Amino acid sequence: MHIVVCIKQVPDVPAIRIDRERMTIIREGVESVINPLDYVALEVALDLCGKEGGWIDVMTMGPPQSEAALREALAFGADRGILLTDSAFAGADTLATSHVLAKAISNLDPLPNLVLCGMQTIDSDTGHVGPQIAEELNLPQVCSVREIHPQGDSLIVKRLSDGFLDTMKVTMPALLTVTHGILPVRDLRLGELETAFSQKDIIRWGIEDLGLAEDEVGLKGSATHVWRLRTPPPRREGELVKGSSQNLIDHFLHKLEALSILDEEDGYE
Amino acid sequence: MGMNKSYNGVWVFGDYRNYFQNRVTLQLIAKGRDLAHKLDTKVTVVVLGENVHQYAMEYVAHGADDVMVAEDHDLKEYHLEPYADVLFKWVKAFSPEIFLAGATAFGRELFPRLAKRLNTGLSADCVALEVDADTGLLIQTTPAFGGELLAEVITPDQRPQMATVHPGVFQELPHNRDAWGHIIYPEIDTLPEARVEVLRSRRQQAHNINLEDAAVVIVGGRGLGSKEQFRLLFKLADLLEGEVGATRPAILAGWAEEDRLLGQTGKTIKPKLLISVGTSGALQYTTGIQGAETIIAINRDPSAPIFKMADLGLVGDAGTFIPMLLEVLRKRI
Repeated sequence: MHIVVCIKQVPDVPAIRIDRERMTIIREGVESVINPLDYVALEVALDLCGKEGGWIDVMTMGPPQSEAALREALAFGADRGILLTDSAFAGADTLATSHVLAKAISNLDPLPNLVLCGMQTIDSDTGHVGPQIAEELNLPQVCSVREIHPQGDSLIVKRLSDGFLDTMKVTMPALLTVTHGILPVRDLRLGELETAFSQKDIIRWGIEDLGLAEDEVGLKGSATHVWRLRTPPPRREGELVKGSSQNLIDHFLHKLEALSILDEEDGYE
Repeated sequence: MGMNKSYNGVWVFGDYRNYFQNRVTLQLIAKGRDLAHKLDTKVTVVVLGENVHQYAMEYVAHGADDVMVAEDHDLKEYHLEPYADVLFKWVKAFSPEIFLAGATAFGRELFPRLAKRLNTGLSADCVALEVDADTGLLIQTTPAFGGELLAEVITPDQRPQMATVHPGVFQELPHNRDAWGHIIYPEIDTLPEARVEVLRSRRQQAHNINLEDAAVVIVGGRGLGSKEQFRLLFKLADLLEGEVGATRPAILAGWAEEDRLLGQTGKTIKPKLLISVGTSGALQYTTGIQGAETIIAINRDPSAPIFKMADLGLVGDAGTFIPMLLEVLRKRI
């Protein structure tokens, strides 16, 4: 089985702070990581190829430093990295991003049996790119998959969708987006990381290698534009209490009493 | 840039599965009316399925001017490819200016594919929608960078302007049995075959987890540091007759099951009291708790955004605070 896993290097979002005066993200000291659900996609690929045998390409679109994410994926056991990097790719929305990824996948010979993506990324959180790659490549898609069983040329997959547990059969080639809960992500051994940095291949493709024009990629190829950024309106700001744990607990209990969740004296029912 | 006069009307995707729990279509009709009023146009709901006339009637009663129905046995189940096919052809034929869907699991799967086929823009999981007075463009407000920022997104040139919208953001209009609207059945072509076969689709058993109805909800985040610490929240919930929710980082860490997820891709709740423990307060999470009557937050970092929305903020280590609190509360019962 030939699998392409699409990954994205993202800032470690919980560590991000905002410069509220200039309305910019403070990236200093914030690590770049592989999007958490993309690790899950990678684990799924390794598991399927472990059972069935196969070849895993791991692909990302991003600035040159995204190579680090590919190297890490290679250390996990992917066979080859494909870095889609070009200054013209910058500023892409999901429409333009999926175009570059789909074009790169269709550049592979032979075409892969399966494309895997994380259900969504933690930085922009849209979940659009997977379905949009599937659309451009005319592949059937199933999103937020949490169980996969290979069955000949097909995959039996399970997913939760709006209160329903769906069991579905999809014939390959296909695209799946995966969510947590399928497989635990393994810990990496240091030796594997060294091997990946020295021995495995990374292909680099830019706009010309993919036969794309400037106006179909990046900001120019995007249908959506960011009009402006703002911070969420404050809801209300109450009292902020510091000090000893006992002091915190006193305030907490007092609040519960004020809300009649806790009775003031000894009765609590 | 600006208005393209050949495109007209606000469309809403009629997502009727789980009708009594999933009210997002009704919420979008209400918002759609507001947008349509500003654009001097109508709001139309598009509904696909088999025997869906009852839903069409409901949508009219909740404020739709028109409902377009695709009635076909092969549309009975929510299948991506036939649904995308019908919607694509209708958009091409009728040229709506705006097309909205709820950010349900199906909406989030269908709309990206449809937008791509239409070669137009799509914003995800919006928390506000407005029409810009000068340009007439739809301003789609969507959380970015974990919700630390709100991005106002526009689709300047392509049409329709498409967005999925977070359930619970807008208020539905009351049911009005005297409402008047058109229900029309445009022709549909032969449907493409669904390449994904649904072998089984079972309504999930209702769990014991009932976050939406709990008066007290205790939410744990990454700041708790470990699964053992997170488990202590269940003890606190027992004492306060509450329920336990979780932020995404806590679920990714494997401390709680996904059914407990609150916020943008999880549940929206309006408890009487919400106790937020070790959560920084990313908007991804806080969109789901805006409606809480009272919020108490415990976090080590005094600059954590969660304190901006807390009625009572306690600056301290949750790992120390929670065990002590449990001890004190047990004595008081």
